[in-house]
Amino acid sequence: MASAFASQVFSRRNLFQALAGAVGADTAPAMHRPGKAPLADTGEAKSQPEPNLSLPPAGVRWLQKATYGYSSTEYAQFQALPGASDDERWSNWVARQLNPAAISDSACDARLASGGFTTLGKTLPQLWTQHRVEDYLTRIQPIAEVECATTIRAVYSQRQLFEVMTDFWHDHFSTFGWDYDCAPVFPHYDRDVIRPNVFGNFRTLLEAVCKSTVMMYYLDLHGSSAAGPNENYARELIELHTLGAENYAGVLSPDDPSLAMGTGGDGLSIRLKYVDEDVYEACRALTGWTLRNGHWSYPGDNDGTFIYRELYSSGLSWHDRFTKYVLSRRFAPDMGQQDGIKLFDLLASHPGTAMFVARKLCRRFISDEPPQSLVSSIATLFLSTWQAPDQLKQVTQAVLLSSEFKNSWGSKMKRPFNSLAGALRATGADYTPTLATYGANTWPTKDEINSRLQQCGQRKFYWPSPNGYPDKLAAWSSSGSLAMTWKLLVRLTEIHKEVGYDNNRPFLIDILGQTNTALASNDRTAANIVGYWCDRILGFRPEPVYSKAVNFLRQNAAPTDVLTLNETWAGGANPNLRNHYTQSRLRATVALILCCPDALRR
Amino acid sequence: MFDRRDFLKTCSIGSSALALAAAGKLGFAAERANSYDTLVVVFLRGGMDALSLLSPGGSNPSRGDYETKRPSLKVPLTGTGAGLAIAGDQWRLHPRAPQLRDLYTGNKLAVVLGTGMPAPVTRSHFDAQLNMELGLAGQGNGVGWLARALASAGLPPSVTMPAVSAGSITATALLGSTESITLGSGADFRIDSGSWAWNMEPDFLGTAPAGARGIFSVLPELWTDSGTLEAAGRQTLDALSVVKPIDFDAYAPANGAVYPDTDFADRLKMLAQLIKRDVGLRIATIDLGGWDTHESQGSPVNSYDPFGNKVEELSRGLHAFFTDLNGSAANNYAATTSVVVMSEFGRRVRENDGGGTDHGYGSIMLALGGAVNGGQTYGTFGGLANAQLFEGADVQVTTDYRRVMSEALIRRLRNPNVYYAFPGYSGYAPLGVFQGSDLPPANFDQIFRNGFQA
Repeated sequence: MASAFASQVFSRRNLFQALAGAVGADTAPAMHRPGKAPLADTGEAKSQPEPNLSLPPAGVRWLQKATYGYSSTEYAQFQALPGASDDERWSNWVARQLNPAAISDSACDARLASGGFTTLGKTLPQLWTQHRVEDYLTRIQPIAEVECATTIRAVYSQRQLFEVMTDFWHDHFSTFGWDYDCAPVFPHYDRDVIRPNVFGNFRTLLEAVCKSTVMMYYLDLHGSSAAGPNENYARELIELHTLGAENYAGVLSPDDPSLAMGTGGDGLSIRLKYVDEDVYEACRALTGWTLRNGHWSYPGDNDGTFIYRELYSSGLSWHDRFTKYVLSRRFAPDMGQQDGIKLFDLLASHPGTAMFVARKLCRRFISDEPPQSLVSSIATLFLSTWQAPDQLKQVTQAVLLSSEFKNSWGSKMKRPFNSLAGALRATGADYTPTLATYGANTWPTKDEINSRLQQCGQRKFYWPSPNGYPDKLAAWSSSGSLAMTWKLLVRLTEIHKEVGYDNNRPFLIDILGQTNTALASNDRTAANIVGYWCDRILGFRPEPVYSKAVNFLRQNAAPTDVLTLNETWAGGANPNLRNHYTQSRLRATVALILCCPDALRR
Repeated sequence: MFDRRDFLKTCSIGSSALALAAAGKLGFAAERANSYDTLVVVFLRGGMDALSLLSPGGSNPSRGDYETKRPSLKVPLTGTGAGLAIAGDQWRLHPRAPQLRDLYTGNKLAVVLGTGMPAPVTRSHFDAQLNMELGLAGQGNGVGWLARALASAGLPPSVTMPAVSAGSITATALLGSTESITLGSGADFRIDSGSWAWNMEPDFLGTAPAGARGIFSVLPELWTDSGTLEAAGRQTLDALSVVKPIDFDAYAPANGAVYPDTDFADRLKMLAQLIKRDVGLRIATIDLGGWDTHESQGSPVNSYDPFGNKVEELSRGLHAFFTDLNGSAANNYAATTSVVVMSEFGRRVRENDGGGTDHGYGSIMLALGGAVNGGQTYGTFGGLANAQLFEGADVQVTTDYRRVMSEALIRRLRNPNVYYAFPGYSGYAPLGVFQGSDLPPANFDQIFRNGFQA
């Protein structure tokens, strides 16, 4: 009844307010109210230019966009690179990052080694036999460890561009890592399929993805056969991995006169848009691409690796041996596995693929609707290098050195995982997520953070559809995602290592210790402290966040008064707001800076 | 904010004399719960296999073709896993959906046959969803059809919470609306994760010295600049303030409704609570994914029945939602709430060799509510013989999904601007799925719109 009474008091107050026609200061706002436009200025309808944002230094902007988030350490390294100008230093930064093997990553490696992971180094057959089992925890251990390792690398790896591009290609070839069939072998997908090709060749990556155990299950290709084709993979191969929906002409005859022809990577004529018939024909071309998965026809072959099958053991066709017709190219009969090889060649060298992939890359780094001129020039490079072993390195480099990259700022925002990693990077957090448990009835910090990421809408490898996490501002600036992102970021300043709510364990982010180290006791004014944390998190001291954060931290002290950072209750008979819980106030101040627009945009 | 619903609830707990006096004073009509209708659009993502949810029954001439083309997946007429007969056994609802059958026979649920988007035809999930949710066939400026419906709804000057997209990412149909709240979990939707000493106001003010300010009261001051991100931030701050007073944990479903323990049902329960609080909810979207059954779809004849599991999740969730809202007199929220269930397309008529079905075309829509003319099927079914199929493979689209939605907008939301919600759509022709009178269908007056925005 207590809650009923509370609700009674509350709503009667509301009633009286309404009757009086009063709009009190404590009245919650209405989402629909006079003078507010009901529709946002979006996309092509957008008529307002972005305001003149206060700009951080060029190096800070570029690092915010090309890494998992600016940190003062990363920025110091950037500034120490050879070069007479930011542009020269940037070229050197990109060149260095494009050769990740040459970057020592010992601190990150040590952190990974300390995590006690046991599945990340297992071969595919080992994962297959040891983790494709009934026991749920054993079954999902591999994906759970990849999730931990991905987070550790995002925060601590010196090979930031490599990590960002790994994320990009995981999105492009998105799979649901926690799927029953994908989870036990997921380290193979991340380690052997995606990562080796991030700065390599798209055609190679495309075929490696097709053959991977994870994709074979996720999009059902392993069971597709001449008599029973399954078109799931073939459709997404064309719609999501290569030509893209922008090149889908719908349900039309492949010979419809409205369909234009162009030139493929081999210099020969090829149809520019695809129709449903191409999906079915591609599906036929790929029949027989399957796995040694203990199939009833070959029960002895059972290690999870790829195999091409011409026939079932009965002698019936597994592969569809007859002629195929894809994008107006005739495939001769009886070409066996070469059908698939030819298909991947056609798709990887198709001008539509080049445009689609180039647009996605530019969208990742520049803006939601990147300039067509840049997209076209990147697509041209993508096409002309389609057989080069370092095609993706060249393409990535071209995007990052473009003037469009250098000059664009603030029209995108960090996605939730990026916001998390960025906050941890900027604040010098000590976070090593592992599968360790910390006693009965505890909620490990790793589990709490991942669950909060899930509320934000971006837990890693958790997007159920094959199109990958959205990469537009509208998706992540919705109230659902942004509010939960703020909640996560605020929580990061209060959460403890290992078990979030256990005060006997140190904080994940040692905000007090870092503040005390950076500033001598007589320098610890609100202005200095906020300035220090703005530099650490934002790389500059923009308004209004700087002044508002100073006001919050000082409460009723002057901005230049030295604060005593202790954790005491200063209410009661002789209240002293200035000295009231200054340590938690400091942490809350950092939380505010983490939640400001300048920390979230890129 | 004037919370009339809370007031009425209060009155029912407290003094009835006060209740009567207040109600008389404010002119409430007791037989109607809310003074406006709520439209809930449930999107089944992945292409729901309509021929399994609603299979041809024993008296349906397509039954023979269905059994031939679905040898292992067919829902049987008798024995284990037999479908639930409706419409004189013209159709069988999936056996895992007895709740939907009960709603149908109770005249609260209607089925529309052969639904889809007539053009362009696409078998891409993402294209089809985009086309349907933007409501204008591939062309778009990133504004969804429900966002346009809301913007042209002729709302009173102030409405607390006119639209909710139940999830962490906004449904495309509501993209572009500045008035919509995207809300995964109401109970979690508050920034209360900071230190207790500086957390949510007014929580910490009881112990803090006078003049103290907490995190949440300062946060809005950081988001005052103009700019796209800042505008989104302010919308989020508005949403947080609007949602904050609501105690979601304390909510008790009414009328014996039992929500199953699923995300889908949790979100329906959240919507039911918002509807009962009279926050002004006109439009809500909610997703249920997992319908892309290319392989091992399962069958109700066997214990392995993944499709049936999804059906049960849908059926039990919708039933709980309807029951919860279906009180009497002033608690009859079901009378002002209409649910429409749709998917981006149906699946191929012939099953594949992997025990699944590939992407198809024609689907079905469900309409549920107290103001639905239920217990009937609407539209025509194209048949399952080879010559009757679209491209020899799929169920024909015989009812434009916009026809059903337009009727809901006009008859229930009283918004005539269906040609604004669906640019390029014409010839409004209600099927009679919803109760209510028609209004002349219209395009939204752009002059009015511009004035509205100024």
